[in-house]
Amino acid sequence: MMRLRSRLARAVAVGAALALALPLAACGGDDAGGEADQIRILVYGDATNKVETQIVDTFNKTSKVKAVLDTIPGADYQTKLQTIINTNQAPDVFFNWGGGSIAPFVKANLLLPLDDMIAKDPGLKENFLPSVFNSAVVDGKAYGIPMRGTQPVMLFYNKKVLADAGLTPPKTWDELLNAVNVLKAKKITPIALGGGDKWPTQMWYQYLYDRVAGPELFRSALGGDKSVWESAESRRALELMRQLTDAGAFGTNFDSVKWTDQGSPTLLSTGKAGFELMGSWAYSTHQDSKPEFAKNDLGWTAFPSIPGGKGDPRNVAGNTNNFYSVLKKTKHPEAVAEFLKLMYSDEFVQAQLGIGNLPTTVNTEKFLDTAGNPEYSKFQFDMVKQAPSFQLSWDQAYPPAATTTIHQAVQQYTNGRMDADGFIKAMQSLQAG
Amino acid sequence: MAATTLAPRTTTGERWAVRRPGGGVTLARPGFAWALPATLFFAFFAIVPLVLVVVLSVTSWAGIGDVEYVGLANWRRLADDPVMIDSLWLSVLLTALGVAVQTPLSLLIGVWAAGQQRNRAVLSAIFFLPLLLSATAVSVLWRALLDPNFGVPGQARWLFGDGNLFGSRTGAIAVLVLVGSWQYIPFHSLIYQGAARAIPAVLYQAAEIDGAGRWHQFWHVTLPQLRNAMITSLVIMVVGGLTTFETVLILTQGGPGTDTTITAYYMYQQAFRSFDFGAGAAIALLLVVVATVISLIMVRVSGYDKMRSTLEGL
Amino acid sequence: MTRHRPNRLAGIGAVAWLLVVGVPIYVMLSITVQTREGYGDNGPISLPDTFTLDNYTGVFSQGFGRYFLNTVVVTASVVAIVLVLVTPLAYAIVRSRSRLTGHVFRLFLLGLAIPAQAVVVPIFYLISTTGLYDNLLGVILPTAAFALPICALILSGAMRDITPDLYEAMAIDGATPTRVFLRLVLPLSRGGISTIAVFSALQAWNGFLFPLVLTQSDSTKVLTLGLYNFQTQYGIDIPGLMAAVVLSMVPVLLVYLTARRALIQGLMGVGGK
Repeated sequence: MMRLRSRLARAVAVGAALALALPLAACGGDDAGGEADQIRILVYGDATNKVETQIVDTFNKTSKVKAVLDTIPGADYQTKLQTIINTNQAPDVFFNWGGGSIAPFVKANLLLPLDDMIAKDPGLKENFLPSVFNSAVVDGKAYGIPMRGTQPVMLFYNKKVLADAGLTPPKTWDELLNAVNVLKAKKITPIALGGGDKWPTQMWYQYLYDRVAGPELFRSALGGDKSVWESAESRRALELMRQLTDAGAFGTNFDSVKWTDQGSPTLLSTGKAGFELMGSWAYSTHQDSKPEFAKNDLGWTAFPSIPGGKGDPRNVAGNTNNFYSVLKKTKHPEAVAEFLKLMYSDEFVQAQLGIGNLPTTVNTEKFLDTAGNPEYSKFQFDMVKQAPSFQLSWDQAYPPAATTTIHQAVQQYTNGRMDADGFIKAMQSLQAG
Repeated sequence: MAATTLAPRTTTGERWAVRRPGGGVTLARPGFAWALPATLFFAFFAIVPLVLVVVLSVTSWAGIGDVEYVGLANWRRLADDPVMIDSLWLSVLLTALGVAVQTPLSLLIGVWAAGQQRNRAVLSAIFFLPLLLSATAVSVLWRALLDPNFGVPGQARWLFGDGNLFGSRTGAIAVLVLVGSWQYIPFHSLIYQGAARAIPAVLYQAAEIDGAGRWHQFWHVTLPQLRNAMITSLVIMVVGGLTTFETVLILTQGGPGTDTTITAYYMYQQAFRSFDFGAGAAIALLLVVVATVISLIMVRVSGYDKMRSTLEGL
Repeated sequence: MTRHRPNRLAGIGAVAWLLVVGVPIYVMLSITVQTREGYGDNGPISLPDTFTLDNYTGVFSQGFGRYFLNTVVVTASVVAIVLVLVTPLAYAIVRSRSRLTGHVFRLFLLGLAIPAQAVVVPIFYLISTTGLYDNLLGVILPTAAFALPICALILSGAMRDITPDLYEAMAIDGATPTRVFLRLVLPLSRGGISTIAVFSALQAWNGFLFPLVLTQSDSTKVLTLGLYNFQTQYGIDIPGLMAAVVLSMVPVLLVYLTARRALIQGLMGVGGK
């Protein structure tokens, strides 16, 4: 035993001496700070980064100022961004969700308004769908250029489950409630809900509020008018939500189910649930995990209309798009402008469609037939194009600081731990965007 | 073991022997300089930041923009914050439950594994496995295992009902205690295993001559000899329990609602989710204070700071 | 320890615990050999009806080789720093009569109670202003610093087992503190030293918070962050994630298999003797 131990100790000592020298040598070459003739671009790190890489390569072929792409793994992107944005590690151009995700930076005077760039090249505005472009307008100034795909939230359903129960996709609230009752009687969870993630629950609220009160209610709330949360419309939306939970629409264990660990999508694809309200990325998730379900049995439709509601039933909610915003301190605004122009190029649109994203440029339409599933892409594109209003998800419309409060409020109202007054009070405690 | 390896060295060392005038032997003791490098290093990365945290706790700062002095505003707000008060209670509760579950099991497994039989070596090799996984990996694994529809609860409805483990306070707390125990019991049983192996066999032989049974031996020989090991294990458990973070972040995110928002997670949430670094710093300080007080009490009660080897008493 | 009669109760308990540990590990392994489709059909705990190793190759094509190398560099460096700093520190704590050293020991005891997440914001700014942000060294230094208190405690505990007459014997030889340290203290605390080596190595290997906050690019990513990458809202790949978990465990497992005794001895030493 003694010998073994001393051998380990010796091995450790040698390894230690080597290792101490190694990082010093290895890290010497790495450069953390920005070079004089480059622009640093920071994006959310995930599987779709290959398009960003491709576009950066294209840009670097002709540009003297070189673009460098950095990624930050998804879940922590916003946190990381806010920590570095005011340091010398800050990028020149960065990915964001528009709305509240950039509002604190605008307030801190860190971002470059893009209006001058747009004046020089109107294409930077005209080539994008207005409902999407406007998500990154703060105080009347444009701060972002759309750079990935739009992700509207839709009501997905299992065609086979609905057919077996003699149901058709619901167009109205009453049809949805009826479907809930029919499926429940057949011992199927009517609607899969990843309540453990909280943001899927919030999707129900943002649609219900939009259908009942129209987009104006939330816009006023965001603008600082806290009284709207007490309005009759607000209470009506909460009542409808209660109607749904009382009918057992989500089953009883939804707070233990997550979208992010494949729990709720599997409920839908295995026929244990009939519906799921989810962002457009649900299609590619199902296609990866169960291609023949995505091909044959996955259906999608718009959120049902609500009788007497003020909101246009064509309104959409979800992630309007992602945006590139520019920091004021960038040394190469001209190069950045050239880079941003690539976001409406044919190459960009085709590359995005190729990986399943749906860009929101006006030239997207002519390439829709090249998408992986043209029918799905066209449905979405028309939905977004025709929508009078595209409500950005609540947790992205508010600054990031509000997210925890919103998520807790929707979770606790949905599982019955909080009543309508508690929910209203929680939403009124939010700082305006 | 020590004496045998050292013996030859002292004899060969004979020729360096120096007779001092006056005949007395002065022991060469290391000065403070020996502790200096480690102290400076630690001070730079732990004490200096801690001082900065104190400064931050009386300011308002969102990570961007200016740092603004606000006096005791953060503290006053926390004193009125039900989530904050609840989080302290929860931290203590989770730590206590963790200790209550892990200590007896670790002790039994450790003492059992200290036996020399061959099958024990194989089994304890398997028992060791959870230790090789990071907290991130463990949490991800258990989240999948405990899925209400497709995991264990879905297959055992008679036990779990609708399997809504993460939807109730009791369920979520139980999950955190279970997962923490699964991950850390192997480590603590190793501590006990090592200490149990070091217990001199003569003590057991003497007990057997007195006619003591297995339980009697366990209570009157094994347990008292494991005192130091137990103190170390408890200190690590308590400090580890109070600062649990990844497990909560990945398994429950402090939910449902705020039902598992322990202080360490609440701090992270305030600072890095709500970007209220002032409040986050105040909570961090509170956490440091609570952990310090508890470990000080444990150290005092156990005499850990003056700890001597149990062997010395023989 | 002498045991004559077989202890049935203990045997049953051991098997029960074997199940508690073994079943989740088995489930993890079985998930990694399923296709995403098979996993979607069967869920985590049923028997796999598909078999594939694609999840493993997929993990490598996502840059895990680089993350792996980074983690090795971080771990080895942390162990080196800890050993170089803690051995003289523990020696001073045990043998020094200086009052300052007594305060130092208390400082490290208190240091045990400083959670890394409590000070992570100021540490970010320290690292950032010294230009070490997004550099492996920036992860190594604070990780090593936060391993110091527990290692100092463990090693000074081990060094206390060296009996006073051995010191006296060396003093008769007229040995200087340096000589005592090199000739007596280091050889006799090999057990404690391998304990803190193992302990700090595990901490560095599994470290999450410092790499999360102090690095950002792919070239400085470590394994735990690579695992974290697998979980995003838009792409769920549980079999891939589990395969990454298993792969991240392999190096520790290899060390464990080749140096199992030393490793276990090392960890057991945490409790002192």
